[in-house]
Amino acid sequence: MALVTVMGRLLAPVRLREYCRRTVAAVAPGSWLTGLRGFTSGTRPLRSDNKVTINFINRDGEKVTVKGSPGDSLLDVVINEDLDFDGFGACEGTLACSTCHLIFDEDVYKNLGPVTDEELDMLDLAYGLSDTSRLGCQVCLTKSLEGMVARVPESVADIRQSKDESG
Amino acid sequence: MAFLKSFATVYRTSFQGERLNKQLFTLRALHKSAASEALGISTAEEEAMGQPLVTPANVGEKVKSLKEMPGPSTLSNLVEFFWRDGFSRIHEIQMDHRKLYGKIFKSRFGPQMVVSIADRDLLAQVLRAEGPAPQRANMESWKEYRDISGRATGLISAEGEQWLKMRGVLRQLIMRPRDVAVFSDDVNQVVDDLIKRVYTLRSRSPDGATVFNVNDMFFKYAMEGVAAILYECRLGCLENKIPRETQDYISALNLMFSSFKTTMYAGAIPKWLRPLIPKPWAEFCSSWDGLFKFSRIHVDKRLQDIEAQLKRGEEVKGGLLTHMLVTREMNIEEIYANVTEMLLAGVDTTSFTLSWACYLLAQNPHVQEQIFTEVTAALGPGAVATAEDVPRLPLIRGLVKETLRLFPVLPGNGRITQDDLVVGGYFIPKGTQLALCHYSTSLDEEGFAGALDFCPERWIRKDSTDRVDNFGSIPFGYGIRSCIGRRIAELEMHLALTRLIQKFTIVASPLTADVKAKTHGLLCPASPIHLQLIDREN
Repeated sequence: MALVTVMGRLLAPVRLREYCRRTVAAVAPGSWLTGLRGFTSGTRPLRSDNKVTINFINRDGEKVTVKGSPGDSLLDVVINEDLDFDGFGACEGTLACSTCHLIFDEDVYKNLGPVTDEELDMLDLAYGLSDTSRLGCQVCLTKSLEGMVARVPESVADIRQSKDESG
Repeated sequence: MAFLKSFATVYRTSFQGERLNKQLFTLRALHKSAASEALGISTAEEEAMGQPLVTPANVGEKVKSLKEMPGPSTLSNLVEFFWRDGFSRIHEIQMDHRKLYGKIFKSRFGPQMVVSIADRDLLAQVLRAEGPAPQRANMESWKEYRDISGRATGLISAEGEQWLKMRGVLRQLIMRPRDVAVFSDDVNQVVDDLIKRVYTLRSRSPDGATVFNVNDMFFKYAMEGVAAILYECRLGCLENKIPRETQDYISALNLMFSSFKTTMYAGAIPKWLRPLIPKPWAEFCSSWDGLFKFSRIHVDKRLQDIEAQLKRGEEVKGGLLTHMLVTREMNIEEIYANVTEMLLAGVDTTSFTLSWACYLLAQNPHVQEQIFTEVTAALGPGAVATAEDVPRLPLIRGLVKETLRLFPVLPGNGRITQDDLVVGGYFIPKGTQLALCHYSTSLDEEGFAGALDFCPERWIRKDSTDRVDNFGSIPFGYGIRSCIGRRIAELEMHLALTRLIQKFTIVASPLTADVKAKTHGLLCPASPIHLQLIDREN
């Protein structure tokens, strides 16, 4: 049960820092988080030359180019860069939904690292699934992914609208 | 908690205004304006007004109104449920109604209208369209108890922003598989005790091999397991002599389960009738009192320990509860409420599933041998599996999935629509109670060939692009309001089943014939499951 180690009122473990970094980024700020905010700064003092460039193709087909740090997940990047993909990452990377579903080119897909059973189970429930689909929350950046393209698939709502428009 | 959810779904709800901060929600494509609903304008009229506020999937096909939706009459429903005790057959009625009325149908329970969704694609559509804080059902009676007793709501009973805040805290602690894997050793210690318990119970049986009513044993296993994680302490449920406090808690739980129907009436009976029929509400409150009391004892004890350690300047180490108590992302009342509700939700759900899994293994010895062979090959003889080993045991994962497909512990779940939707060609106004018919979709031939067969292998993937799952069987739900304890429950079941299969050949007792399922809030065995657990030659 080594989930938490506490010294006095200080919370040390990296895992906790991860929690608050994600939570602060993903949820509208609330007073309940204030006590922990201190940890969100300075956890990753990375030089910009160490960053990885990612090209997202949004649901309108537009390319959005951003940079992320190695070790960050693609969901982290979407949150940190404040990218507006409606409904993306609803469960905050806790493997309870498949809203951070992304589609990759085959050569990139092969380099994305291992897939867990839990991710595959969630991917099965993703809309518009392809053979090169992954969940953004489970893909971590490495330098070898420099310049990668990640396509945000159409959401259910979009499909309905486009049908509507074409009809 | 699960056992109340499904009931609540079909049973007691008054339409309720949305309390949430509007800005929480982004309206999606399929929505009609709330204003038109308030004005009582039907869909057809709205279209005629030249304001196509609904954008249905298939333009050209007229969107039908709820009036046109098929379903059983109010009278036949009343007879079915109150005269023919339909509550214990909710899962069967779901299947019958699916056959009679199709993928989507409506039922009336007194003033409450419920729209049932009994098709995996429609289920997918509804769940994918969810907003950031989905509502399951009206939890008025739960809230009333909390208000009266000055207690907070937990993840089951809270709604809206309050729910979202607590969910945000808890999911960061116990939803990610890698976070839950940390508890592997704690769970394994409980499994050790489970195995010892099997030996004890067997030795007491006339043939020296039978465990009578295995659910009773698994109930204690599940309770011990959840408590080990939630309270960071052992309760002694699997000991020969169960400590007094724990026994009191089990009594409170039993009161809640045994008086299930009456406590449900507690919510259904209007307040003004309570003086005339006081018992259901009184029992409802007293069982909650018992559950809360138990949680408080354990939470307070941990808190005192932490404070003492800090005073002494010692390093505080701990798990889930320690984290909650130290960070105070939730206040103490919220911690009590969530710990209470999580313990409640994590006991019978897990124990029924373990009971069914063992029953199915006993009924299907060839499948049991196949799993035993896989486990032995993956782990080597006699090795104790940890969370890290589970990915190498696909049939163990398949066993749990297949058990939950055949006996989804929650045969139906509920949602109150938070936007106007068009589902299956029908316009469903915001605020409608939906019943998601998981039992019927789980046993649908369309989704699962040979749907009645027990076949854990159907869940095995050939490779990572092989898709085997679908919305037909989602026993833990999907999305932001899915089961928060899912990964803990899976860990408890994977580790317990692996060890049981390693140690014993599970054989149906001659005393147990065909065991049917009944709904008692949850889908549970209608009669006790007795099994012989025979030592494997190692």
